[in-house]
This record gives sequence, C-alpha cells and structure tokens, in this order.
Amino acid sequence: MYRTVVNRILLSGGGRRLLRQPDLRTVISSSRFSTTTETQTIPNRPLNPPDSSSLSSSSTSFQTPPAAGDVPRHERKNPRAEYEGEQARVLQASLRHVLRLGWSEKAMIAGAKEVGISPSIVGSFPRKEAALVEFFMDDCLQRLIDRIDSGEELQNSTPSQCIYKLVRIRLEMQAPYISKWPQALSIQAHPLNVSTSFKQRAMLVDEIWHAAGDETSDLDWYVKRTVLGGIYSTTEIYMLTDSSPEFRDTWLFWIIGERCF
Amino acid sequence: MALRLVTRNLRNRISPKLCSASLLHSHATSFGFKEVREEEKSQMVGKVFSNVASNYDLMNDFMSAGLHRLWKDRLVSELSPFPGMKHLDVAGGTGDVAFRILEIVNSIRRRALQDPINDDLQEETRIYVCDINQNMLNIGKNRAIERGLGEAKSLVWVQGDAEALSFEDNSMDGYTIAFGIRNVTHIEKVLTEAYRVLKRGGRFLCLELSHVEIPVFKELYDIYSFSVIPRLGEVVAGDRESYQYLVESIRRFPPQEKFASMIADAGFQKVKYENLVGGVVAIHSGIKI
Repeated sequence: MYRTVVNRILLSGGGRRLLRQPDLRTVISSSRFSTTTETQTIPNRPLNPPDSSSLSSSSTSFQTPPAAGDVPRHERKNPRAEYEGEQARVLQASLRHVLRLGWSEKAMIAGAKEVGISPSIVGSFPRKEAALVEFFMDDCLQRLIDRIDSGEELQNSTPSQCIYKLVRIRLEMQAPYISKWPQALSIQAHPLNVSTSFKQRAMLVDEIWHAAGDETSDLDWYVKRTVLGGIYSTTEIYMLTDSSPEFRDTWLFWIIGERCF
Repeated sequence: MALRLVTRNLRNRISPKLCSASLLHSHATSFGFKEVREEEKSQMVGKVFSNVASNYDLMNDFMSAGLHRLWKDRLVSELSPFPGMKHLDVAGGTGDVAFRILEIVNSIRRRALQDPINDDLQEETRIYVCDINQNMLNIGKNRAIERGLGEAKSLVWVQGDAEALSFEDNSMDGYTIAFGIRNVTHIEKVLTEAYRVLKRGGRFLCLELSHVEIPVFKELYDIYSFSVIPRLGEVVAGDRESYQYLVESIRRFPPQEKFASMIADAGFQKVKYENLVGGVVAIHSGIKI
C-alpha cells in the first residue's frame, strides 16, 4: 500500500525512472551482501581541470574550479552518474553476447570490448553475473512500464485481460534468451542474489496490478501480489520447456493457472 | 568588521590547503619517524630495500604469520584478471602479485580449452612488473625461473620509478601496488601516474598496511609492531634499522579515509576501501572512467 502511494507521488513528480533505483542495487550489494569485513565508499569528486593548483582542497565542498571556462553548474557531469552510465552501457552491450556466452563474465568482457572500455571494469561490478541478470530484469521492467504508459493495448480491458496481456508482454521479452534463461534463474536463486531478485519481482508484480487498476489497501494487497508472483514464476518455468510455436502452450498454461485462482 | 570576515574566509580557504600541503609535505620528508630532506628519501628507501631484498619474502612470512599470502590472494581476486589483459604491478619486486595474476589467467585459459579466441588472447596477456630497485627485480626473476616462467612472454620485468612511469597513456587494464605506496616520496604523483597509464575502465588497486582503530587491538598491534618486528628483523635478517623504518613508515602513512580521498582527487571514481584484519591492511580501489 505504501509503495503504491509512494509510486503515485513519484509519478506526479514526472517520470517513472525513479522506480529503476540503481542506487538501491549499489547499496544492497555493497552494504548487505559484502563478504568482506568492512567496505566504505567515498563520494566521487567533480572533475578538476588539469591546470588547477597543485594541491587540491581537502574539503569536500563542490566549489566550481577557477579558469575552467564557464561551465554552468547544472551542466557539469556528475561523476557518479558517469560510472553508472558506463556500467549500463557495458551491460547493455553484454546482453548481445548472452546467447553465445551465457550470463557470465565472458559475456560482460565481450560487451565491454564492444563498447570500447577496458574489461577491467567488469571486476568492479557487484556480484558480477548477477549484475547482468539484474540489469536485464530492470530493463524489462522499464520497457513494460513504457508500454503501459503508451496505453493503447490496455484500453477497454477487464483487469483480468489486462494482467494476461502484461504478463505475456513481459514474458515475451525473455523469449530471445530462453535457451540461457535457466542459468539466469539459477543465478537469481543464489543466496547472495535472492534478496535483490525478490525485490525486482515484487516491483514487477506491483506494477502489473497497478496497471490493471487495483485500488485495494488492506490485506488483499499482499495476497494479490503474492498470488500473481506465484503464477508468474510457475509460468516462467513452464516456458523453459515449451517448444510450441510462439510459446502458445505457455499462454494456455497461464490462462488455466489464472482461472484456478 | 569586514576585514575580519575577509581574513576569516581567507584563512578558512587557505588552511585546508595548508593542512593537506603539510600532510603531503610531511610524507615526502618523513623516513619513518625521522625527518629527512625530500631528495634524500628516495635514496634511503632504496638502501633499505637493497638490504632486505634477499630475505624479503621470508620476513614477510614471519611478520604476518603467512597472512600476507591471503591478502595478496584477496587483492588479485578483487582485480578479476582476464586473458589478454595488460597489467602493471608497481613496486612488485619479488613478483608475488604478478605470479598470482598469471596463475588465474592461465587457469581461465585451461578451463576454456576449446575456445580458440581465448588462446589468442592468452598470447597477448602482458604483466609488467615495475620496481625501482634492481635487487628486488632480480629476486623476482630468479623466482620466475624456479617456477618455470623464465621464458614466459607474458611477464615483463621493468626497472622504473612509480612517480615517473615509462609506459604510455591509456595502455593498462589494471594497476596494482602492493605494500609499495608507503615507501614513495610523493604519493600524489604516483596516483597521477597511475591515472595516466590506465585505460578507460581500468582499475587501480592498492594493498597497504594501514591504521587500526579498534581499541584493545590497536594497543596489541602497536606492541607487536614496535617490540617484536624490529627484533625479528635483527634476528632473522640481521637488520634492525630497516624493520624499524618499516613499522614507523606505516604510522606516518595517511589513514584509510584520507588516502581514499587522495585517490579520488587524482580523478578515480567509485573509490572504496576494504579493511582486512581490523585495519592492519587495507585494499583501496578506484576506476578510471
């Protein structure tokens, strides 16, 4: 219930990008599941021009460096965003190698080379292969949200039809990777990664119910999402062994599963 | 009134600069707890390492009860080496880190034996071991021969100064410095050079003895450092002075947070550090974007 409220507030602020929450991923990986004793992260510095005085200020205030040309503050590149941006570029390129190399470091190294960045950056991704799978899950969720926002398919549908269409759209996004999807599932089921994958699936299921127009705010909220999550996962697993043309059997399985509940 | 405000502002702006200046200056002129001229420090450190070179590995084992091997394993696993990488190990004299990296790269290749792409890449892997001290490099070369890596094309031994590397800009995938940055005269120059030679996406990793803050453990560690280690140096290596320098130089090195901010100032991003054994050793890392 709170999440729906928060989402609505965020929505009214413009854009659903915030749901992506890349920071959440970084926070989770570095603080909760670090196998090391302690890990601290230092905030990135804004880039200093090469001709600044030889001693950089030890304070962490972000003073505009002198003689750097007139770079307006809002245009100055945020270093943290740069790293996140590069990480996203590498992972996006890596997806193109997944079919050949699996959800593995090799795929990410190939992706990094494609983008022109040293493959060393892969060593800095938290829980390496999981980073790739989680990126893909986030990417699919974002694409689903975009489809919902564009709205054409969901007009004049009952909630039940709406859910069917959205789940089908979402599962079809996985279809190109279906031969390697069992590996992705096993990565998500790994104890270190379970928490993040659970959160991503919870967000997915919440989005679908929300798009179907769900307004409940009592215990039913949890029941609906749990049930949908369960049927979604079962259908996903069924899809792994489905060899019918265009996964016809999977959609049939879904409809039956939904009727049962 | 206005004058007072102006001077206060000026002082606030200058004193942090002076603070950091004085800290860096103090590192450049400190040889353990002794004060020396900047120009002399490099020479004095050189003498220390020429003296300890032959017993370096043995003493490492004694002083850390063999733990230094695990620390280096941890450093290399953080690095995640891959076939075809160009790596620079600075102050890597006797080759510990370089051998470990080579082992990992070889094992990746063995696992992917059917993969023709990887085989070519394996040929391209280059690990440069750079050290300012020729004695340390010679020890490293001998150890390589003992391990059967004497003719390995992937290992390249280079004598050089960390503050003025002879490598090109944007040429390295990885840069490590294990237990070396404490001994340099100008830390920030080393960091700038590291930033220069790394490619985009390249990683900087530094393993170094650092500061312990945990209350009781700190006292025990101090007792161990100042009483046991110089004595051990005297008995095993016949050189008390060098090991006295060692433990003093650890105390003079900037603490974890300060060093991390220095790395960030050099331009690295995603700078973080990890304490091992409560802060006795810390691994700092950063990425060049």
